[in-house]
Amino acid sequence: MEQLILELKEHLIEELNLEDITPEEIDAEAPLFGDGLGLDSIDALEIILILEKNYGVRLANTAEAKPVFYSVKTLAEYVMQNRK
Amino acid sequence: MRCFVGKIVTHEEVQSDLKQLIPDAALRRRMSRVVKMAVSTAVECLGGVAEIPRVDAILTATGWGCLADSEKFLRNLITEQEQLLNPTPFIQSTFNTVGGQIALLGHNHCYNLTYVNRSHSFEDALLDGMMRLADGESRRVLLGAFDEMIPSLETITRRMGWWRHHTAGEGSCFMTLTPEREADSVAQVVQLDFPIEELSAEECRVRYATTPDAELIYCDATYEELYPTRSAARFSEAVQRIKAGTKEVVLYNNCMGMRPTVLVLQWLG
Amino acid sequence: MRIAVTGLGVVSALGVGVDRNFAALAAEQSGISPEPRILKTTHRLPVGELKLTNEELHRMCGVELKEHLSRTALLGILAVREAIEDARLASDARVGLVSATSVGGMDLTEHFFEEFMADERRGRLRDVRMHDCAASTEAIAAHCHIRGYRTTISTACSSSANAILQGMKLLRHGILDAVVVGGTDALSAFTLNGFKSLMILDEAPCRPFDASRRGLNLGEGAGYLVLQREGEHARDPYCYVAGAANSNDAHHQTASSEEGNGALLAMQGALQMAGVDPSAVDYVNVHGTGTGNNDLSEGRALLRLFGDRVPAFSSTKGFTGHTLAAAGGIEAVYSALAIARGVRYANLRFETPIAEHGLVPEKHHQTACAVSTVLSNSFGFGGNCSSVLFTK
Repeated sequence: MEQLILELKEHLIEELNLEDITPEEIDAEAPLFGDGLGLDSIDALEIILILEKNYGVRLANTAEAKPVFYSVKTLAEYVMQNRK
Repeated sequence: MRCFVGKIVTHEEVQSDLKQLIPDAALRRRMSRVVKMAVSTAVECLGGVAEIPRVDAILTATGWGCLADSEKFLRNLITEQEQLLNPTPFIQSTFNTVGGQIALLGHNHCYNLTYVNRSHSFEDALLDGMMRLADGESRRVLLGAFDEMIPSLETITRRMGWWRHHTAGEGSCFMTLTPEREADSVAQVVQLDFPIEELSAEECRVRYATTPDAELIYCDATYEELYPTRSAARFSEAVQRIKAGTKEVVLYNNCMGMRPTVLVLQWLG
Repeated sequence: MRIAVTGLGVVSALGVGVDRNFAALAAEQSGISPEPRILKTTHRLPVGELKLTNEELHRMCGVELKEHLSRTALLGILAVREAIEDARLASDARVGLVSATSVGGMDLTEHFFEEFMADERRGRLRDVRMHDCAASTEAIAAHCHIRGYRTTISTACSSSANAILQGMKLLRHGILDAVVVGGTDALSAFTLNGFKSLMILDEAPCRPFDASRRGLNLGEGAGYLVLQREGEHARDPYCYVAGAANSNDAHHQTASSEEGNGALLAMQGALQMAGVDPSAVDYVNVHGTGTGNNDLSEGRALLRLFGDRVPAFSSTKGFTGHTLAAAGGIEAVYSALAIARGVRYANLRFETPIAEHGLVPEKHHQTACAVSTVLSNSFGFGGNCSSVLFTK
């Protein structure tokens, strides 16, 4: 789980072009959207791609993804349950 | 129809730090090189993000647009065979990205247009701005031009034989325009014309110069560095000459095989 | 000084020409097909595609195949030529063109890039000559004998509404005596995949303003108007362009603000320029793409502008698909016809209102209506919002 969380953070930094931020600085339990990392609807689409490309986990749309996308931790849990 | 030119800045003249000019990290992280170049030139020209709300028209001009993002999306589309494509380069590839990002950065709801007409793009946007100022629809216009060169465009245009006599260039230039003379005015545009036929240097003088001392900047296809909105940088050069004491500059632009344009700039008097 | 609409030209999935488009609108026959037949793509998604190949379009335009024009230019030539003939406009240096496009020659560039990526010495150069936006404008001008001032505008999906706005100014300032304004965009794998990557393409025919809407269908086409100063035209005008305005939503690069701020400002600006009160608007041709975000935001803007007296409105994108930079031009042609022929168009496939605003569009084609004031909305990426007001 810890390894997966670190991996997800690295993907987020890389794919979303988050500048000046290290994986350690991202709180795995803090909200990704709104006040947390300040991500938006486009980032949500990019995260759907991260999950599908790296873990084969599919999410049909952003509405379904909402609870899953709360934090890095919820993302990791969803990947654990659904990865192929 | 005339207008006054306030501050004018080219990308080479941008002094401030990118993070200061574009403080919104969420916007900055999605910006390609050309968008960063153009938006930072615009903000430097205005003197900071806080000044963006003071303009009431944002006009941008680009011949090529956001090429790097267009190419990135196209390459992904081909390599990934239309599956699982990242949306970011697509949304950033539109021609009005720069104008939209300036509005977003300054929360400015004003008129926002983008002209994409090869070597006329800058002059067309200027015409729009001058008409708005003349009609009283705008009191302070932000006008800018930008183009980027990317390796594949250089390769393709080299194969087309473009670079036998000049080199591939890129750049951005932004300025403010007002209908009346303001404290920051440095020159005035007194004429903008779109002649149907090509003109010689002599014909330009006869037709457009109002004083024998007028200087002519005559640009045909002999620029050292070429890109569609190069005439905006030449416009900046004309403004520098006025600032240095020249009373009138006639700027003739016919650099990329479209019809020519002619601009007449004068000192403030 | 009033600006008269004296010529119309349109090409869309409904067919080539004003008559075919109007007949399909009146018969409530959608132009959306289950999947692309001309466009090369692996996606089986509904599109508003004109079922004519580029070769067939070259022939229809009377252009030799070896000229190898982009599809965007070919669609534009058909519509501009129709508009010019309709207005009985003579070729003159005082006749100009303000043309909008968002994809330019991307349909050809896509072919080029496949080979170019494998080997940079390969790919036919004639496939990239028309990549930039101005190339389509120049080709249209050349083949339609337009000799005056011409320019190209690209502000995504509001592009051709902005072309109308700029054309009005060129006439008012006496820079031109007649101007052809509008836009053209062909379907391309680039845009189809682009909107797919944003997950806003409906896998079924789109349902604008319906509670169950799932996104837009991409379309292609071209729509142009001839504008002239009142009293200087050869034929009776269809209507007048009384006002037009552009405003920026300044909310997000792609999404509209929840309350439709940019949309409201654009509609208010167009009404203000025309000196027309909102209560005088008879019909609104809404942007109505069928995405969750647009139809919610635009509906809220309508409520803010019109209060509890929202006029009859409909989205014609259920017929044509979203034709991007051409949408404002195509819908301007439809708006002019609505006034000239006294009709309001159906908003296809509407069943249930959106819970948040409860607005109900025109469900069926209405004839013999008194339509004297029409507002046409077009909104695009980069927060770009435009609205054009047509009057009898």
